[in-house]
This record gives sequence, structure tokens and C-alpha cells, in this order.
Amino acid sequence: MKNTFRQSMSWLHTWGSLWFAWILFAVFFTGTLGVFDDAISHWMRDPLAVTAASEGAPPPDRLQAARVGQAFLEKNAPRAEFWSMGLPDEENTKLRVFWRDNPQAEFQDRELDPVTGEDAGPSKERKTEGGHHFVHMHFEFHAGDAGIWLVGVAAMVMLVALVSGIVVHKKIFVDFFTFRPGKGQRSWLDSHNALSVLTLPFQFMIVYTGVVAFASIYMPAAAMVRYHGDLDHFFADIQERPAPRQMQNVAAPVMPLPGLVTAAENRIGREARFISVSHPGDASASARIFMRGDEAEMASRLRGSNGSVQFDAVSGEILDTEMPGEIRGAGAFSTFQSMRALHFVTFGGYTIKWLYFICGMAGAAMLATGAILFMVKRRKKPAGEFGASTARVYRVIDALNVSGIAGLMLASVGYFWINRLVPVALPEREVWEVGLFFALWFLTLVHASLRPVMRGWVEQLGATAFLCLALPLINMLTTGDNFVAALARGDGEAAGVELTAMACGLLCIAAARFVRRKSQQAPQAARARAGKPDAAADADVEAEAA
Amino acid sequence: MKSASIAPQRPRLAIFSRVSAAVFGGYLLTSACIVFLSYIIPIRTAEAVLTATLLSFALYTGAVIWVFAAPTAGRAWAGMLLPTVALGLASLGFYLATGSAA
Repeated sequence: MKNTFRQSMSWLHTWGSLWFAWILFAVFFTGTLGVFDDAISHWMRDPLAVTAASEGAPPPDRLQAARVGQAFLEKNAPRAEFWSMGLPDEENTKLRVFWRDNPQAEFQDRELDPVTGEDAGPSKERKTEGGHHFVHMHFEFHAGDAGIWLVGVAAMVMLVALVSGIVVHKKIFVDFFTFRPGKGQRSWLDSHNALSVLTLPFQFMIVYTGVVAFASIYMPAAAMVRYHGDLDHFFADIQERPAPRQMQNVAAPVMPLPGLVTAAENRIGREARFISVSHPGDASASARIFMRGDEAEMASRLRGSNGSVQFDAVSGEILDTEMPGEIRGAGAFSTFQSMRALHFVTFGGYTIKWLYFICGMAGAAMLATGAILFMVKRRKKPAGEFGASTARVYRVIDALNVSGIAGLMLASVGYFWINRLVPVALPEREVWEVGLFFALWFLTLVHASLRPVMRGWVEQLGATAFLCLALPLINMLTTGDNFVAALARGDGEAAGVELTAMACGLLCIAAARFVRRKSQQAPQAARARAGKPDAAADADVEAEAA
Repeated sequence: MKSASIAPQRPRLAIFSRVSAAVFGGYLLTSACIVFLSYIIPIRTAEAVLTATLLSFALYTGAVIWVFAAPTAGRAWAGMLLPTVALGLASLGFYLATGSAA
């Protein structure tokens, strides 16, 4: 029975993982880049231009921004489900406004000039999604709800693959120290095992905390039943905040928000960062003002508030005050907050971010080696799982491997080039940037389908290496900035982006050389004799390891 | 014999049935489980709901593993649906007994 269980798990591990390996690789790879989203955004906004534009300009005026934001929202969404506003600061100089007319309507967002309230439109500034592109990519593929569910399903597959992978893995502690290089398939298996075992706790943590962060979408059953479908009531209850107020359908204007901002700032003693108004225009309106967190303090803890004040938005009466560092709720909510902090790396500063970057890349490499191992094994000994079309399916898997792994890396570094090459004045240039990223990724799939497999790997890895290594060059040609100048003026974020890209470029060269050497050694006998059924080649990872 | 336990006579149908049992049956069982847990964990309602929800993904993972380890697809479906019905009825009892939220 034990043996059968392991075989079932082996089957599940191989086939479950295979069909989701490319999605999961993309989630891991872009999520790992997203660890440094702020640094990437900083580089992409072009630090020299931002400094030049802000020189001599007055510091952002939060009260003026709240005033023009409110005027804009009153005009464009007089009665809405909610309004919210991200106030400007030194790094993000624009005012961001968001609203939704009703729970069924579409979520709206605009960027406004924080002084005049005009729709920012094309500007001298390099408008970009920056590093958020990678963050969005990793949880929704820029595909909204459909993307969130796709990533959710993939994450569950990953949890199942991790558990089944452990079951398959008899000698987990021995393999920890096992690496047999230069032995073809066995080396691929060893590296897959070593990467997985070494970083297993991280992989479990990052996947589990990832699905937990979206638990209200993925697993709403308990909250829906116990709160009669009113999730907002549940959210308020778990955070020990006042219950959401019922819509009264009586028109009432929202108080001037700058007054509430001043009142909240005085009460907490910190700068306001974000305003959220629910039911604006109705007598039940309430507003919550959130404060900016202190970075050193945030880096030292997993949970606790940054401070916020909730008002009756019609009368201005204070309904709730949460002081910085205050901990609400009991064990479950603290666990939830800690899990979120673990996933979003809001703690520990750069040391932990680098640890996440390395572990995340190891996770991506684990997925890549797994997917490659599948084909390495079958190139040696076709298993004929797909009958007469086996050769064709193998070809598709090979192409997806090349463009799903090397192609995604190519498109990701390509996105940095696109950022520098798309004209600054182009309307909606941030949309073009993301669109061109996907176009480039699609081209790698076309390329991978047309070229012989090994050539495809070498060419795409080589192109990735070139784009990584020449990134400082294109930056110098387009903006006049480069990592040496950035280091000289003490801008470690901008310099770090280019230095990290160059290090990745060197790794890609090593990978491309490795594949080329392999493909030259590969004996003719390894050519796929497709369609020949071979029961012994059934996906049994353990048999290979033994 | 290796894939015999997964796919007996009609492999494609059996695999499809088992994957459906894992994805949909497992999700139903998990949902029923966390609603039930939210009633029996003896802490504040919101905390009990969140505790059960935080556990849900581990329960779901366990359910999927069990589905693929079960001897037949029929057994896998039964293993998902029977406890779902039992937990659902128990939760209905609690729901009718308490009536209101929080």
C-alpha cells in the first residue's frame, strides 16, 4: 500500500506540476522581482528627471491635494460606494484618486495634479507602472479576477506538488547533501531536489501566505455564512472597528476633507497618507484617514497599526482612533497580519528582501529544473503518453519550456529597455510598456516554436544576457544616467537595479554556454523516437533517484 | 502497473473524474469544513471564522492528496461528498439554533 501511495503521489507530482510549471515559474519569477518593486519603480521613473522636476518645487501640500481630490470626486462620482485618495509625497508626487459607483460597477482610478486637480495626462515625467508591473503580474497576470483565480489554482497545485514531492522523496536528508554534476538527467534531478529541499520552508511559507492574503476571495464560505454575505461587516469585526453603516439613501454632503486630515494628523502626530470615504454623498458616509508608517519601526515588527482615525464624514465626529503600533483583535487576526507581512516583506529591511530574492529565485529555479527534467527524461526515453501525437506534444512542451522560462526572463529585462525606449510624451505610455512586455513574451514563444529546441534555449538566454549586461548603456544613451553616477550621488536603489541586472546577465551567459556544450555533446541516439509506448518510463522520480 | 491505481480501464475518464473530485469535491468539503469549524471553535465569531479560513488551504491540500491516493475515483468522490453533507447538516443545525451572526 505504501508503495502504491508513493506511486500515486509521483504521478500527481509530475503531471500536476507540469501543466502549471510555466504559470508558477512566472508567478515566482515576477513575484521575486516584485520584492524590489520600489527600487525598480525608482529607476524607471528616471531619478535624474524626477530630481530636476522637483528642484525648487514646494514640498507636497497634502491639504491642497485633499481639497482638489474631493472637488474632482464630487464632480465625477457624487454618490459612490466609496472614494479613496493616495496623497502625494516626495517619491510619488501625483495625487491618486480611486472610486467605485456601486459594488457592481467597475473600479476607477485617475492620477491628478496635486495642486490644480487636473487630470495629469501626458507629462514630462516618465509615466510608468514601474515595479508594480511585476507585482501585478505575479498575482493576476494583468487579467483582473480571472487572473487572480488562475494564480489561486496554480498556488493550490503548488501546495499539492510540495506535499506530494516530499512523499515521493524517500531520502530527503541524504539528498540535501547530494549533487552529482555532469551526469545528465541525474544532475537535473539532483539540482531539482537540492533546490527544493534547501528552500522548502520558504516555498511553503510564500505560497501559503500568498493564498491567505486573498482568502476572502478564495475561501469566503465561513465568513459568508456567519455574516450573512456581508464581508465588510466581518472585516470591521475582526479588526475591532465600528461596523459599516447601512446606506440611508438620504443626500448629505461630505465635510471638507482637508479639515479631517488636519484633525487626524493632530490626533496621531503623523502625516496622512491615504483617505478612504465610504458612501460619499449619503447621510451614512464615514471617512478613515490612514497615517504614514515609520519605516524603521515597520521594519522591526510583523503586525500593528500605522495609525488611523475614522470620522462621521457628514458631522466630523470621531468614531474610532487607532494609534501607531496598536494591536487589534486576538490570535487569529495577529496570525493573519503576520502572514501578510511575511508575504509582502514589510519587515526586516534590505537584508530580508535579499534573502527573499535569493529564496524566490531558488523557487523559480526549482520549477524550471522540474519542467526541464520532464523533457530531458523523455528526450532520452520517450514514454508515449500521448499516443500517436506524443512527438507533437513533446515539441509543444519544449517550446513552452523555452519561452516560459528563458522567454519570460527575456521579456522581463526587455521591459526595462521598453521603459527607456518608449517616448516620454506618448499618451498612456504606461499601458504601452506593459503591452509591449506581453508582445515581447509572445514573440519568444513564436521563436521557440520555430527554432530547434537547443538553439532556442541558447538564443533566448543569450539575448537575455545581452539585454541585462547592456542595460546601463541604454540608460546612459536615453537619460544620461548610469550606475556609476548613481553610486557617486548616493542613489543605491538606481545603481542596485543595474548592478543586479548585470549579475543576472553573467548568470545567463553561463546558462547559455552550458546548454550549448550539452547540445554539442548530445548523442544522435537521444533524438526522440516518439510514439513508442514505454510503461517503465512512467513518471517515477523515485526510481530515477534510487 | 504503475498508473493502474490512478487509471484502471478507461484512463481518461477516470483521470477527469478524479481531477474533478479533487478540485470541486475538495473545495466543497473544505468550505463545509470551515463553516462547521467556525461554529465549534469556542472563541469570538470573527476570530473563529478567520481561524477556520486560515486553516482552509491546508485542509484543501489534504483533501486533494487523499483524492489521488484513494483506490478508485468512486471512492474519492464518496470521500469528498459524504463528509460534506454531514458537516453541512451539522452547520445547518447550528445556523438554525443560533439564528444570527456574531
